Amino acid sequence: MNVDISEVTRRFGRAQAVAGVSLETGPGVFGLLGPNGAGKTTLLRMLATVIPPSSGQVRLLGRDPGGHGPRREIRRRLGYLPQNLGYYPGFTVAEFVEYFALLKEMPPRQVPQAVATAIERVDLGGRARAKLRTLSGGMLRRAGIAQAIVNEPELLLLDEPTAGLDPEQRVAFRALLRDLAERATVIVSTHLVEDVGAACSQVGVMDAGKIVFQGTPDELIACGEGTSAVGDAPLERGYSAVLVSARTAALVA
Amino acid sequence: MDDDKLITAMAAGDDSALRELFARHAPWLAARLRAILPAAEVEDVLQESFLAVWRGARGYRPQGSPRGWLWVITRRQAALWLRRRGPAELPLAALDALDSRAGLDAGDPAEAAVFRAELAAAVRALGPAGSVTQEVWRLMYVEDRTVTEVARLMGVPEGTVKSRAHRVRRLMRAVLRQPVRDGG
Amino acid sequence: MTYRTGPDRDRCPEDVDLGRVWLTVAAEVWRRRPGLVERLAALALRSPGLARALVTTSSLLPGWLMASAIVLAVGMFATLGTGTPYVALFAPAVAAAGIAYAYGPGVDPAWELSQSMAVSDRMVLLVRVLVVFALNAVLGLAASAASGTAAAVTFGWLVPMTAVSALALAAATVTRSANAGVAVGLAAWVITVLSVYSGSGHVATAVVSSTLILPYLAAAVAGGTIAWFATRIPKGTS
Repeated sequence: MNVDISEVTRRFGRAQAVAGVSLETGPGVFGLLGPNGAGKTTLLRMLATVIPPSSGQVRLLGRDPGGHGPRREIRRRLGYLPQNLGYYPGFTVAEFVEYFALLKEMPPRQVPQAVATAIERVDLGGRARAKLRTLSGGMLRRAGIAQAIVNEPELLLLDEPTAGLDPEQRVAFRALLRDLAERATVIVSTHLVEDVGAACSQVGVMDAGKIVFQGTPDELIACGEGTSAVGDAPLERGYSAVLVSARTAALVA
Repeated sequence: MDDDKLITAMAAGDDSALRELFARHAPWLAARLRAILPAAEVEDVLQESFLAVWRGARGYRPQGSPRGWLWVITRRQAALWLRRRGPAELPLAALDALDSRAGLDAGDPAEAAVFRAELAAAVRALGPAGSVTQEVWRLMYVEDRTVTEVARLMGVPEGTVKSRAHRVRRLMRAVLRQPVRDGG
Repeated sequence: MTYRTGPDRDRCPEDVDLGRVWLTVAAEVWRRRPGLVERLAALALRSPGLARALVTTSSLLPGWLMASAIVLAVGMFATLGTGTPYVALFAPAVAAAGIAYAYGPGVDPAWELSQSMAVSDRMVLLVRVLVVFALNAVLGLAASAASGTAAAVTFGWLVPMTAVSALALAAATVTRSANAGVAVGLAAWVITVLSVYSGSGHVATAVVSSTLILPYLAAAVAGGTIAWFATRIPKGTS
């Protein structure tokens, strides 16, 4: 199990962004769906060891991120793409990816090859020495993905990775995910339901700080069958159905 | 963008031009090299060749042939590689034979001339024209014939052919180990 | 990358991995070769990542250092001309600005990401702050000595410089804005100098008065402690 968290909560002042989440997952792609404000980003930030949980148990890659040493070990094997990633405009793509490779304490001798590999994998090979300020939004996002994968992470956390990517790039991205998931746990948080269906082996739906559904994409589709849920595609209908039933249950409770 | 323009762009530091050149030309260069080298070594030689291409882009003369220029560089890298490995196995000569079969005209006449001079000097060291060693050299290494064929053509036993071939290799090795002098 | 296909004899052999070849070429062509300063820093800090973070600090870039040196040089000439120890008055302000700009969110757009790095952002901040401080101190001492002021004044401003820098850092880390840090640092220093001046009549009193040493040190400790705590738990939003 690369990710093993139980009853994790996170509070900001009086607001509870994550209200008790338990999750166990090994290698493969895990899609995290949910509306804005559901707590997906906060959950991802906790998994990225950026913020600690307010309560609950967290074990990542077999280690407890509470301790300084284990946290550092986790971070060396981690890849993270935040929802809003700032860029150093004067850096080139290669410099940008290399900067984070070094901060992840990759052995310097391995860095040039790893950087080249990451850049080619996200199809930015023709722009490796272009300054970031000359890139489009989609290209910047791909540069962000490159820095996340440069150290061949065992745990890869992607928050809205396909923002700004055109459909062809999304297809390429899903192929990349499948490739990465052979050895790693990849958690993709997105509000675009269709991004999830094709590539994920497991899907979770979050709402109001809790996971209200966890299972395979087919199981999610099954949730929507026979209901009057809204959606153009089976997966979307399953997603809507799950949200509706979760909110109804919350009202009744 | 045509090859000439790509090489000019590359000389100005455009690495995406190198990438495009690689996509266009690496396949056929690999195919050529594969005729005389195992796959792993083809990869190593190609790698060194394209790095040499990147560094040497400024030396390209636009009126030459880009394919020829690339081949000359690749062939030189292959020769260096083979030389570094120790006893020159003499697929070196096969490189030359490959050349004349393909009817290439080299992109940079000076480069090609230097390389040919090297090889010519080595061949001269084998002995006077028409000598037995020269004959073995021509039949086995330029015409690429088998030991059996050479034995038949020269009217000698196979063992003799083998020992003469060994002598040829020894002589070539001795000469090719020496540095190439400029203006020669 | 898509490879050109042509006649069969020009097609790449099946057992040759052109992708691997290209990656090795690209690694060599795209690699960045660190400068001497960075390499020395990597050895001294035993961390190439920390060294790289250090040399990319805004307030350590040549332009910034040049600007600081110029300000202090102006102060030096002014001191030589008028006898008022301007260097001693400028140096703490220059340092405070440099320290505030060694910090994260105000100047580091990828700040969130840097909080998930093995080289911790706190370590980066610490190293940056120390180096910026040391460099400013050296520049200031050089300007001070060259302006021929008395020893008490030449060294005297180091303590208020520490205090003002610590306050600037505290403000920057609490507000997550380098600009706020600069503003607070400068404001604190200007207020101190002016109020001491109005009390004593001498502008240099703020740097030579021994009665102020304890308050300065207290402010330095307070600022440092606040910065320490502010960088401990990153604030979350959603």
